[in-house]
Amino acid sequence: MIRRGFQAVIRLGHHRVLPGAPHVLPRLNRTSAFGSSTDSLVSRFCLEKTDLKDYALPNASWCPDMLNLYQEFLEKTKTDGWIKLPSFKSNRDHIQGLKLPFGLAATSDKSDWRIFTRCLQVEGQGYEYVIFFHPSKKKSICLFQPGPYLEGAPGFAHGGSLAAMMDETFSKTAYLAGEGLFTLSLNIRFKNLIPVGSLAVLNVDVEKIEDQKLYMSCIAQSRDQQRVYAKSSGVFLQLQLEEELSQ
Amino acid sequence: MGRSWRAGGSALIRTGALVAVGAMLRSCVSRLRTLAVLRGQPGVAPLPAKDPWSPRVNPGAGRREQEAKPGCVRGDPRSFSSEVIHMDLSLPNPSWNEDMRLLFDQFMKKSEDGSWKHLPSYKSKFTQRTEDIKIYFPDAKLMKEKLSQAQLFPRSLEEGLGFEYAMFHNCVEDRIVCIFQGGPYLQGAPGFLHGGAIATMIDATLGACAIVAVGVAMTASLNISFKRPIPLGSVVVINSQVDKVEGRKLFLSCNIRSVDEKTVYSEATSLFVKLDPKTRLT
Repeated sequence: MIRRGFQAVIRLGHHRVLPGAPHVLPRLNRTSAFGSSTDSLVSRFCLEKTDLKDYALPNASWCPDMLNLYQEFLEKTKTDGWIKLPSFKSNRDHIQGLKLPFGLAATSDKSDWRIFTRCLQVEGQGYEYVIFFHPSKKKSICLFQPGPYLEGAPGFAHGGSLAAMMDETFSKTAYLAGEGLFTLSLNIRFKNLIPVGSLAVLNVDVEKIEDQKLYMSCIAQSRDQQRVYAKSSGVFLQLQLEEELSQ
Repeated sequence: MGRSWRAGGSALIRTGALVAVGAMLRSCVSRLRTLAVLRGQPGVAPLPAKDPWSPRVNPGAGRREQEAKPGCVRGDPRSFSSEVIHMDLSLPNPSWNEDMRLLFDQFMKKSEDGSWKHLPSYKSKFTQRTEDIKIYFPDAKLMKEKLSQAQLFPRSLEEGLGFEYAMFHNCVEDRIVCIFQGGPYLQGAPGFLHGGAIATMIDATLGACAIVAVGVAMTASLNISFKRPIPLGSVVVINSQVDKVEGRKLFLSCNIRSVDEKTVYSEATSLFVKLDPKTRLT
């Protein structure tokens, strides 16, 4: 059980001395051994050579809109600097060799722990999504197709499922753009319902980074942008992960 | 969104396993089985007056009136061959840890004098084919295959893996308390609950608060402030209330605290809008 709230961590960060962690370097020049520049964060996160199953790949449940847009962005990964983020069963898989600072890490990651947005693994049942990230523009696009197990109002996705998808996209964007780790706040304005099985496109931008916080905004809309499903903003706390000491 | 979808209907069956509110729940609970006749109407179904979820226009309608005698059926028994099976999932099961059970017992005790009411929570699941629905509900619109698989989101994970929760309505102070235990499939940062899972529970609890107050309402906005991360597997208490009602707008707020109330994990405010039966949802 942690004793420190987020506010205490931010206060300590202002003085640039975090107990138990190395001295924090100025933001602009972060190329320390921890590899805090976006490029090294991305390569460590994406784990190109791995046996881990990547859930962010097309399957039979994806609707045509989702498949088409996916192909479009896959092309852009070759030409425009976009990166397709892999999606593993647990966040721990993405940060191998690293751990949460200040002893926040749980003592054991039991094998059955799963990241929330991959909690329903039968194809098409829950969250079907893939996130594309652009390192230099600090933007993300998430293609999200909610399945029937995410229902709220009959035939439409539960508001909580969209909130979770937005939080997850914010989370990955925040981490890669600036080592954002924990959500500090989420503000969501719902406009329209998302029909189950249809595609929602989430556009996330990093607005600013200051005071150890990342500020992001998101719009979730239909593919043709004619229908806005929701708008939101999120603030994440920057916290550097620590290297796990080899034992 | 954020509310428990339950089929509007005129018949409920409770089997002999139904136990009275109170002390017995801790030791016994096998799942309740209730059968409800599905209205078959897409969209919103009106809630019957005796339902604990019904708006407080019938303050006299208590849980006691809800409890049918075992085997008591209202409605044509033949229609139950195309049945929709509803189990109340807001009752203790083996995955609930000690904190959760203790809290549940405390609230059930408080419910004995009628000032608190336990709110049931269902997962919709069709067991019959579409043809059966058409025979018994000739005016039902055609159900697509997808809808027949649909499940209410916070109830769609297996026991103990996702959201384990129970809600209690304080009829005197008009607020809702939700006890919540987050399971291993709700992880965010390793060892902690995903912010989205927390947002889902906040939406569900505030939604329940809104529904009990005015009937059917949907989330317009959610504003959540996370103070401390919630460890995976721990039990938290969500206290929610209606702050203000302006026409069809409801302003609600809630906070999430530890069992001993000493730690505040999150706070949230929200706006819900009461649905107008004349307005289409899409």
